[in-house]
Order: sequence, then C-alpha cells, then structure tokens
Amino acid sequence: MSSKEKESVAMNAQDVMETASSRRSFIKGLSLAAAAGSAALATGCIPDAGAGSTEEMKIRWQEFFKKNYRLMSQKEKDDTVFRLERLVKLHDEMRIQVGTEEPIAKVLYGYAFNITRCEGFMECVTACVRENNLDRKTNTQYIRIFEMEPGKLDPSTGDGTYFHKVPVDNKFYMGTQCFHCENAPCTKACPTKATWMEPDGIVVVDYDWCIGCRYCQAACPYYGRRFNWGEAEVPKDEITIKQHYLGNRKRPKGKMEKCTFCIQRTRKGRLPACVEACPTGSRVFGNLLDPDSEIRYVLKHKKVFRMKDEIGTEPKFWYFID
Amino acid sequence: MTKLIRPLQFISVLVLLFSAAWFVAASESSFIDTVKNSDGPFDNRSVTAVQPITDETVLAQELYQGGSFRVLTRKQDIERYRCSSCHTEKSVLARNAQELTHGNVVVNHGQEGNNLGCIDCHHPEKRDFLEDKKRRKIDFDHSYQLCGQCHFRQKRDWLGGAHGKRVSYWTGDRVVYNCTTCHDPHSPRFEKRYPATYSVPLN
Repeated sequence: MSSKEKESVAMNAQDVMETASSRRSFIKGLSLAAAAGSAALATGCIPDAGAGSTEEMKIRWQEFFKKNYRLMSQKEKDDTVFRLERLVKLHDEMRIQVGTEEPIAKVLYGYAFNITRCEGFMECVTACVRENNLDRKTNTQYIRIFEMEPGKLDPSTGDGTYFHKVPVDNKFYMGTQCFHCENAPCTKACPTKATWMEPDGIVVVDYDWCIGCRYCQAACPYYGRRFNWGEAEVPKDEITIKQHYLGNRKRPKGKMEKCTFCIQRTRKGRLPACVEACPTGSRVFGNLLDPDSEIRYVLKHKKVFRMKDEIGTEPKFWYFID
Repeated sequence: MTKLIRPLQFISVLVLLFSAAWFVAASESSFIDTVKNSDGPFDNRSVTAVQPITDETVLAQELYQGGSFRVLTRKQDIERYRCSSCHTEKSVLARNAQELTHGNVVVNHGQEGNNLGCIDCHHPEKRDFLEDKKRRKIDFDHSYQLCGQCHFRQKRDWLGGAHGKRVSYWTGDRVVYNCTTCHDPHSPRFEKRYPATYSVPLN
C-alpha cells in the first residue's frame, strides 16, 4: 500500500469516527466488530456498549484506534491526552492533567537503597500507592519491604508481610520494586512492544498497547511487575491529578503496571514519591550521568551491590550499607 | 632452526588471537562504563520545571562535591527561641521554671549510662547558640557542625548525599534536610512504631 493510499484509508477511518452516529447505528457497528473478534470484546478491549453518553462512546472508539505511544507525533499525543482528560471529566466529573513530558537530555536515573538505615516503616509504600493511584481494593503495591535475617541478602528468605512494631532488633529491612534494568528481560518478552526503556532509563508500559499476557511478569527476575485484574478503585479525593501518559494515569482493566520512578514527577525534576516520603533517608535517587549527584557519591564511596547481579540484567537499583 | 620457529610462530598467533578475543569481550560496553565516563558536569539549573523550595533555607557553611548547597533552617521550629529572652545576664528566679519550660525535654542521647547534659551541646553563656568541644559558637541552623564532631561518618555521608535527603527535587539547586529536621537532638534515635501499612502475601 502506498503512503498516499494509507493516508486516504486513515482519512476514511477518521471520517467514520467523527460523523455523529446515533446509539443504534453505533451498537450495530459494534456488533459487527464483536463478530470479528468476540474474544477481544470479552477481555474488555473494545469500548463497551454500556458507556454513558454518545460523546463518551465516540471518544472511546477513537481511543481504540490510536498508535503505540512511541509512534505518535506530538499532535497525536496531545489529541489522546485531550481525550483521556475528557473521558475522566465525563465519567468521573473530575479534572485531571495527563502529561507527556519527554526525557530530559543527559539524564539517566539511578536509585540506591540503604539497607542499614531502612527501619521498615513502609511510608514509601503508602506514598507510592497514593501517588500512582493504585487499587485500594486489592491492595496493589509496587514496593515491597522485606524483614530480613542478618546475613541473608535474598528477599525470598525474608518476611514480606510483617505487621508489628518496627524496627525489630537484629533484623534489617530491604525494599524491592522495579529496578529499571538497563538490559531488561521484560521488554524483550513483550509480544506487542508495549513496554520499553526510555532514553532516561525508565522502563515504561503503554497501557493501551498492553494485551495483559503477563509474559513480562514471568520474565522479570525481581517480581517488579503487577497485573491488574480490574480498574483501580481509588477514593475520588485521593486521586493524584498530575499524571503522565506512561505513569500514574488511569490504567484500563487487565493491564500490566509497575513502578515508573514516578515518571510524572521525575521528568519535572521532582523526587519519586517513595524517596520524598522516606523518614529515614534510606532512599537515594538521582542522575547517574551527573558526577556531583548523590547517587554517584553512593556508588563511588559506599559498599554497593545489586540483586542477582550475575544474571546480567544490569538493574539501575543498588543496595548499599553504611 | 626453522623447526623451532614454526611452533613459536604458532604460539604467538594463538596468543594474538586470544588477546584479541579477550579485548573484545572486555570492551563489551556496560552502561556502568558510560556512567563512569560521564564526567561532564550536568547543568542542574537546566530543568526549568523545578520550583524554588518554599521552606526556609540557609546557605550551608560547608561544601559538597558539587559546590555550595543550602539546608533547611531549624530556628523557626524551636518553640521558645530566642532563648535569650529569658536567659539574660541575671539568673532566672521564677519558681519551677525549668520544669515548666523545659520539662518536656527527655535526653536520650549518648552512650548508655553516660547521657549527654545540656551544656555538652548548648552554649553555657550565650543561650541563643550551641557550642562544640573546641568552644566554637555554633548557630542552631548549622547544627551539622556540632553533630559532626562525634558523628563524623554520618556527616561525611550527609555532605556527599548518602545520609539524609534532598528536599523535593533531585535536581536544581541542592537543598538538603538539616540533622534536626529528622532527628530529635535530645533523643536522636527513631522510636519503634507500627508500619504505615501492610502487604498482602505475594501470590
């Protein structure tokens, strides 16, 4: 197909989408689509007929045909951001801001975790849940803190579900989350190229291209990824309004999600929510390419190690001791 | 003679091949090398989204690897500052004055059985200041100069960035927490408490 032909097809599709259609004709079209892919309908990928207004249905329909985030022009990004914001306005009567900030030049994010200082208060976890609009019903958490026996460095030997007064004497605490591997196995496992590493080192997911197959979850050696079995249930007054397309925006049902180093914050120079919330200063975040940064100081002057270093995933997440 | 040279040639070729292979394997670039070799300074003011810190800060009297930085101030959090409004030249004569004003202060700082006293850190005469062991007058906003005389390892890490934390931003002008932002100087160890939340089992 020549590029001109492609363009005309795209134009036609656009026309079809933009002509105002009655509910009846819309459902008719939908049933045709359903016949073509009833399996897809069952997984909830195609906009459901239960959607409220005609405008909402139209937007959902247009959303269905958008490109992978990496192939979008700025115009297309702006359009989808407008639609996403409008959908939330229509559906939840809320005003949100979805950003599409680009990576900052000469920046590679790195993270260090002080296992001597962490006392297991888990304030990072609550801050993360709040910031990233995680599902309160299933208690989804991107971060997990393990209570560890001295001498052990493998979190699978630790207790990840403790709830008692901390710190317990002669125990130490070790946090895990997505390590944003430079050589990430999850991105290679994805059959739809819905997950990749951004130039600033953040491994992200395009929630609208994720088909929820969970290959990436199986590929991740660190249990860094989470699968949602439904749309996140978040109390309206707790929703973080400042969002990012690749970050904490509303994820559709049946998608893979994970820590994004709070991409909506870090690309504006802010610290991730976990770092900001940590009461003990165990979490260090910064630019690996800046020789004066805190993270570089830690790598240069402290005893550091990475989890499962030998498997060659090159995580950008170091543990260190004082 | 040629019989001897043959094996030598063979061995030297082998050595060459192996060293070449080793060189290729060793130069297989890891991103760690990129990180190590990136010594060009990063312009921390280039990120325009960074907003000024709204908390009160003061220029630190010491430097970190990137030059000067700022710390959060302390004085505004001290309830009865200025101390000299009571502690004048004259001695305080009010009854139970110490219990009424400083009764809430519990000192749990120092080695066991050898707790620190007030004037180990506070200036004995000029009550608006602290005093270190070299009898230097130290401002409450620059308490790191005092704490660092015993906790020199922590201070070194704090200057570099491995102890304590930055305020709000990873970039922009460096603003860090003061020692006393996190630690109660009278009882610096964090108290035991319940975690903020809990986690459900993994599978």
